[in-house]
Amino acid sequence: MKNNIIILGGGQAGIYAAREIRQNDTESNIKILSEENLLPYERPPLSKDFLLDKKNEDDLYFHSIEVLKNENIDFENVLINKVDFEHKKLFSKNEDVYNYDSLLISTGSDNKKLSLDNNLNDDIYYLRNLEEAKIIKEKVSDKNKITIIGGGFIGLEIASSLSQLQKKVTVIEIGNQLMGRIIPKQIADLVQNTHIEQGNEIILNKQIFKIIKKNGIYEILLNDNSIIETDFVIAGIGSTPSVKLFENTNLKLDNGIVTNQFCETSIKDVYAAGDVCNFYHPFYERNMRLESYQHAQNHGICAGKNIAGVKTEYTSIPWMWSDQFNLNLQLTGICYDYDEIIARGNDINNGVIYFFLKNKIIKGACGLGIAGKVGRDIRITSKLTEKNTIVDKQILSDQNQKLNKLIQKQ
Amino acid sequence: MSEENWIEVGSTDSIEEEDLIRFDHQDKTFCVYRLTDGFYATDGICTHEAVHLEDGLVMDDEIECPMHQGIFNIKSGEALSPPACEDLKTYPVKVDNDKIFIKID
Repeated sequence: MKNNIIILGGGQAGIYAAREIRQNDTESNIKILSEENLLPYERPPLSKDFLLDKKNEDDLYFHSIEVLKNENIDFENVLINKVDFEHKKLFSKNEDVYNYDSLLISTGSDNKKLSLDNNLNDDIYYLRNLEEAKIIKEKVSDKNKITIIGGGFIGLEIASSLSQLQKKVTVIEIGNQLMGRIIPKQIADLVQNTHIEQGNEIILNKQIFKIIKKNGIYEILLNDNSIIETDFVIAGIGSTPSVKLFENTNLKLDNGIVTNQFCETSIKDVYAAGDVCNFYHPFYERNMRLESYQHAQNHGICAGKNIAGVKTEYTSIPWMWSDQFNLNLQLTGICYDYDEIIARGNDINNGVIYFFLKNKIIKGACGLGIAGKVGRDIRITSKLTEKNTIVDKQILSDQNQKLNKLIQKQ
Repeated sequence: MSEENWIEVGSTDSIEEEDLIRFDHQDKTFCVYRLTDGFYATDGICTHEAVHLEDGLVMDDEIECPMHQGIFNIKSGEALSPPACEDLKTYPVKVDNDKIFIKID
């Protein structure tokens, strides 16, 4: 049957959903509506290779317009500002009407903003999209001292890139470790050591009390009365799901759009995928919200299958990475609910991994190493996790023994 | 095909089944694989970002990049899973007297 399928949000989840729908449904109209006037592009390089001039804008696009045309996927740059779920209509700012039979919401997430009590809000820069990356790249070019507020993935990746551009970088983090929301302290401390070795200043356990601008220089007052002087301020303090459009509708929201394991929302024929979702994960038997490359891709694909009528549960074990300096950090599964930790390796040149076990079953792992050194073992851990494997701890802790053996025993 | 382009990699028992070794020759680097049905070779560097596939995971006929999990078919070089989208170059392999050779063009 030929349907009108609209994908609201032109990011990674949206484009993967669109192509997956087309794989399974050659008839229906598929239209992506995007607030950004750019074809879907990869965001991970924005804080790294794009800032470092190793990749330019053209390197970022997932697909050319020709690929979308060949697959008969429409892409339109439009700002939708009203939704009528009852009559299955979307309305643009210019009052154009878009009718749908099935709707996928993949609007992603927005930057959390610092709330300052003076007129400096426009002086704080954030990095989530290409436009913001371009602005930061241009603005920092003649600056020396850069302060980054927030020691999460994005802040530290920017800190790494700017350090490589010979900037004097200070990172201020409110928590008692870097990347504290998801990364175990053992690995966070190794990352912190690397930043310090490379000349970045890391300040933990400090809150921003006030920011003052004097003669083009910013003074950041911390809660211990210390002052950081800086030429430029970037904040990376987390994100919130982009759900503003749905706040006065009957779509069920709770830290994002609530979906089941089939990417279905509380409204019939309305699906959601990616960062914007608080989705049910059948493996963990609870809801969660994830912001990662793998999740945006796989969740988009899963939504695409379900929209096309191929009923598919979302079962991906979470996996994420961050690249800082010459290091690659990876995490799989869940590393905060455990009763035993096993270490593998102690030198980041060969890779260091911590495994997190509960009742002898491997639940997750986090590793750090020179690019490429932890990926294979982390990937094997994902496979062991999804099979609830009781592991041979001797093999886990001995870097001379390959973890493939644990899979082959299945 | 001229004989001189066949380069010796090493003995067949230098690679475990469902595994790979790195092989460097002049200024080029390769991965040589042992699958259940024989030996195969590809370029060593992932087409997505400059990381060597020597630390990647070999599963069935596939090599997965250790950095960002792009997946390639070892026999055809086809990029199977993003972020990899550009195929990996493959090379002919032959075994002679328990020695592996690859043909470099």
